[in-house]
Amino acid sequence: MGNANTSPGRREGPLLIAGRIALFVVALVVGLSFFVPFMWQVLMSISEVADVDLLTKTVTPPEANWENYPRVFNHEQIEFGRYFFNSFFVAGWVTIIQVITCSMAAYAFSRLQWPGRDKVFLGYLGTLMVPGVVLMVPTYAIVRYMGMFNDYTGLIIPVSFTAYGTFLLRQFMLTIPTSLDEAASIDGAGHWRIYSQIILPLARPGIIVMAIFAFLFNYNAFFWPLIIVKDENLRTLPIGLLAFNTSYGQETPLIMAASLMAMIPPVIIFLVLQKYLVKGIQLGAVKG
Amino acid sequence: MAEVKLDHVRKVYDGTVVAVEDFHLTIKDGEFVVLVGPSGCGKSTTLRMVAGLEEISDGTISIGDRVVNDVLPKDRDIAMVFQNYALYPHMTVYKNMAFGLMLRKLPRDQIHTRVEQTAAMLGIEHLLKRRPKALSGGQRQRVALGRAIVREPKVFLFDEPLSNLDAKLRVTTRTEIKNLHQRLKTTTIYVTHDQEEAMTLGDRIVVMSEGKVQQVDTPLNIYRRPANRFVAAFLGSPPMNFIQGKLEESEGGLHFMDGQYIDLTLPGEMASRVASHKGKAVTLGFRPTAMSETAEGKFAGPGNSLTLQTSVVEPLGERIDVSCTSSTGGHLVARIEARDDFPVGDRVTFHLDMSHVHLFADGEFGPNLVHPSA
Amino acid sequence: MKSRRALLIALAFLLPNLIGFLVFTFGPILYSLWISLTDWALTRQNDFNEEPVNFIGVENYQRLLVGDESVLFWDYFWNTVFLMLGIPIGIAGSLVLAMMLSTRTTPRRLSRRISLSTLILVVTILASFGTWVVTNPGPRPTDSAEVLSSEEGLGTLTEWQVDRMRSNGTVLLVATLGGMAFMGIAAGSVFFRTVYYLPSLLAGVAMYLLWKALFRPRGGLINAMLGPPLEWLQSAVESTPPWLWYALGITIAGIAALLCLSMVLTGVRKLASGESGITAFVGRLGVVVTLLATGAGLGYTTVQLPAQALLPNGVSNLTADDIASVVLEMGGEAGVSGELLASLAGQIQPDVTPEDAIAQLAPAVTLDTESRLREVVYSRTSATKIGYTAGEGLSPPEWLISSRWAKTAIVIMGVWLGIGGSNMLLYLAGLSNIPPELYEAAAIDGASGWSRFINVTWPQLAPTTFFIVIMSTIGGLQGGFEQAMVMTEGKADTITLTYYLYNVAFEDEFQLGLASAIAWIMFAMIFVMTALNFRVGSQMVND
Repeated sequence: MGNANTSPGRREGPLLIAGRIALFVVALVVGLSFFVPFMWQVLMSISEVADVDLLTKTVTPPEANWENYPRVFNHEQIEFGRYFFNSFFVAGWVTIIQVITCSMAAYAFSRLQWPGRDKVFLGYLGTLMVPGVVLMVPTYAIVRYMGMFNDYTGLIIPVSFTAYGTFLLRQFMLTIPTSLDEAASIDGAGHWRIYSQIILPLARPGIIVMAIFAFLFNYNAFFWPLIIVKDENLRTLPIGLLAFNTSYGQETPLIMAASLMAMIPPVIIFLVLQKYLVKGIQLGAVKG
Repeated sequence: MAEVKLDHVRKVYDGTVVAVEDFHLTIKDGEFVVLVGPSGCGKSTTLRMVAGLEEISDGTISIGDRVVNDVLPKDRDIAMVFQNYALYPHMTVYKNMAFGLMLRKLPRDQIHTRVEQTAAMLGIEHLLKRRPKALSGGQRQRVALGRAIVREPKVFLFDEPLSNLDAKLRVTTRTEIKNLHQRLKTTTIYVTHDQEEAMTLGDRIVVMSEGKVQQVDTPLNIYRRPANRFVAAFLGSPPMNFIQGKLEESEGGLHFMDGQYIDLTLPGEMASRVASHKGKAVTLGFRPTAMSETAEGKFAGPGNSLTLQTSVVEPLGERIDVSCTSSTGGHLVARIEARDDFPVGDRVTFHLDMSHVHLFADGEFGPNLVHPSA
Repeated sequence: MKSRRALLIALAFLLPNLIGFLVFTFGPILYSLWISLTDWALTRQNDFNEEPVNFIGVENYQRLLVGDESVLFWDYFWNTVFLMLGIPIGIAGSLVLAMMLSTRTTPRRLSRRISLSTLILVVTILASFGTWVVTNPGPRPTDSAEVLSSEEGLGTLTEWQVDRMRSNGTVLLVATLGGMAFMGIAAGSVFFRTVYYLPSLLAGVAMYLLWKALFRPRGGLINAMLGPPLEWLQSAVESTPPWLWYALGITIAGIAALLCLSMVLTGVRKLASGESGITAFVGRLGVVVTLLATGAGLGYTTVQLPAQALLPNGVSNLTADDIASVVLEMGGEAGVSGELLASLAGQIQPDVTPEDAIAQLAPAVTLDTESRLREVVYSRTSATKIGYTAGEGLSPPEWLISSRWAKTAIVIMGVWLGIGGSNMLLYLAGLSNIPPELYEAAAIDGASGWSRFINVTWPQLAPTTFFIVIMSTIGGLQGGFEQAMVMTEGKADTITLTYYLYNVAFEDEFQLGLASAIAWIMFAMIFVMTALNFRVGSQMVND
């Protein structure tokens, strides 16, 4: 994508080709500047603690030491594997709940006619303006009151009903022609069937986008888990990494290995679903 | 198979905007009725009320013996073909056609035979495994037809099904729809804005404008005896010519005069019918084919000639269309026999077939005075 | 009847989400407003200690804006604003990257692309192998022949080891570069887009830990790369008379100022004559401001160079006694036990760096005291020095440790993270939506380069820019918490408003009332800024 024809109908002269090569080199150098820190991370993660500072002089460590990766998981007090599980568990459930509830609400906002619809939707929209920090204190108080503090439910439930997800899916569903619903209702489908067999499959790209957003956001979430979790067994990856850093502040290779592993799932998700994500980001803005 | 009855049906939006006013019509079992009119005339709304996609504000609609006002679309036993076809993009052609049958819990093998049969009838068997995206416009149109037919409903509803096709395909598909109807004999309501489509397809045509029914009749009756000036102008191509004028009595007969040069003598029978409008403003209407250069046969005089300023000639083959301007500035078209040396730009005298001339009372919806509707 | 049925059906679909929305979004917003008007602190009013929560009106707001908390509040507010300085740089960068990616750089024909990428692959493999052959030190010498490296800091390694490590590193770099070039040709701009996007995708604790390592003053990649140029500059300054640098600095600033003046004058003339609209003018103004800032900064730094390069070691003009006295003074201020600090200060060895002295004291003092202590210590060292590492003259900064540089470090990281992120994708979409006819028309009218950008590209992208600016300011005002928490633990003057809210609500005293007031003040600020953006932006978009 993105090959906007900025020089239409021009023949490729030598000057133009030279310009293109120069531009390619610039793109390459910029790309390298984005890539090198990750490379450095790998190099640090396979070094001995004593050798990390040498890397700036020698680039590679004396011997590649892959032992740091298993060491991350084999520790008496810090259960890194558990953090991984927790992050997947929490982000996964939030994503599932969001997909179901937001798509249903979006159906009600985009396909059904009912009194008061636009007013309720305006209420949803209005809350999008409110910064997230406003919600932290009261939600914390509510969660404590409901007995979900320091519990999986406290990590999952409060962040599972976003107005943003509803808004995004509604915008997406509005692009599906209404004649499809009408055809289905003439074919004999009721609302639940139209939702589940017509709208849901057609809104799939939008739902995938929302699911990626929800998963990545909650996988990386920091503030909320930080205040809601006190039990070490409930720590998600970001909180666990921070704890890891405090107890292993000096062991840079170990921390690099841990943080590198934490980065892998988002990268995989991105590479596999890149097409949807890029479209989704652009859709969210154009319609927003 | 069923009769569809619309009993003084009315549709009002937001309590104020009247979309359909007092629609009263009985569509016989097996009949093909076309609703035609310019956009915004209420024809689609009427169709959607029959389908159950719009609420009925007043009056009743019945299909067969059952009043369906409060019946959900799925329980009305109808099938509809939409303008954009509304094929489910995520289903194969087979699934698209079978969807309605599956929802009605038909046995699997029965669904299979019915879909196969319908597909064979429409010549789309080879497309059954494809998705709508992989089909051409014409193929999609056939699938949409197939989806409606396979259900074997009591009533077919068509909402401008041909308007997304190119001109050539539109004509062939039109014929095909007519063929299908003759085979299936299912009651059909068909909405279009194209008068030619309406003429060729309908057993009866309902001409609508501004939410009101203007005339209901067979295509030829509507063409020959339009109920009012709107209907006369809407049907027929090129459209009917109109001249504003007055009915005056002189020399023992009734004359139509535009106050300048045009003076036509009305034939005896016509004159007696419109005698009560003597001295009033009327509109004279005649089709371009009711004009001739020569005063022979039905174009024989007297008092049937008018002289017009010609400007453009459009050859059509056997005939030519001549654009003219009347003395009062009105624009007229004459469709006459072709000849190479037509004097374009000259003033030419034409003769009218006075038996095919209409007179309308003043106004856009002025009723036909020569052929008053019952 | 009918509408009631419709309502029931709609509710059935809506309810699962609506309940959650009311309890966890809509309700909390109203609840928060009420909390902000009370003195609720969890340490006082909780399940075990049922003191009543008192309604105290706007007192919390008063305390924050003008009262006893106002010093901290405004301090943290300005910290937040400082971090937001990265936003315009990041947006400009995103636009540049997007324009770069939207220009085709690879051959159009597939066959040529395949042959070119194959060629690059072959060259890469050959070059990597060649590099290895040339640089690799050969087999390990027998024990008796091994010589310890003489290079500073590498004492424990043998020369052979160092050579081999460097050889591996060079091969790695060559292979990486070649591999990226191969992918860039084979996959085109999609590959670069993916690479550029990765950092922003991974923004989070793991990424901040990586940057914490990169920013380490000694042994960190960034300072290692800054080292050689600074050394070169140092020797250059030492070998030339100072007035040359003063002249150079003034010239740079002067040229920038003159350039800006002429640009502003041209812009005003064009705006007045109606030749270009307000959008183009705003764009031009942006360039002017950036140019002016760069010129002024570059000029100032150049003028300062001799003074800094010739200044002795930053530590030597501050003795342990000095630090001890500061500590005592500060300790008294912050209400920390003076005797404890005095005894600690007494233990500080002479000749330590200020940082080490502070580190020694850190366990005994609060965060606030520590960061104020740091400031005082630095103000008595040499406030104008670029860096504070123990080396002489110009040396790279102690990024995350010194209050002067920590925020800049976070800004640099923020720009690196965000520049290729969703903003770039939005600009890419915006660029591809510009009808090519506009460029054709502009070309026929004789516009090219800059005037094409300012008259076609920039106005066409105005809605995108508008959206990006609004979203970035909203995010920026709430930002900085995670970074500071992970990278500096709030030290080195990096506390932002969100961090402040966290401290107030969830650290020491659990003052939920005060924290909610902070949140609402932030909301008000965001609201005002968004409204302002809308005023300027709608004019630009409609223009």
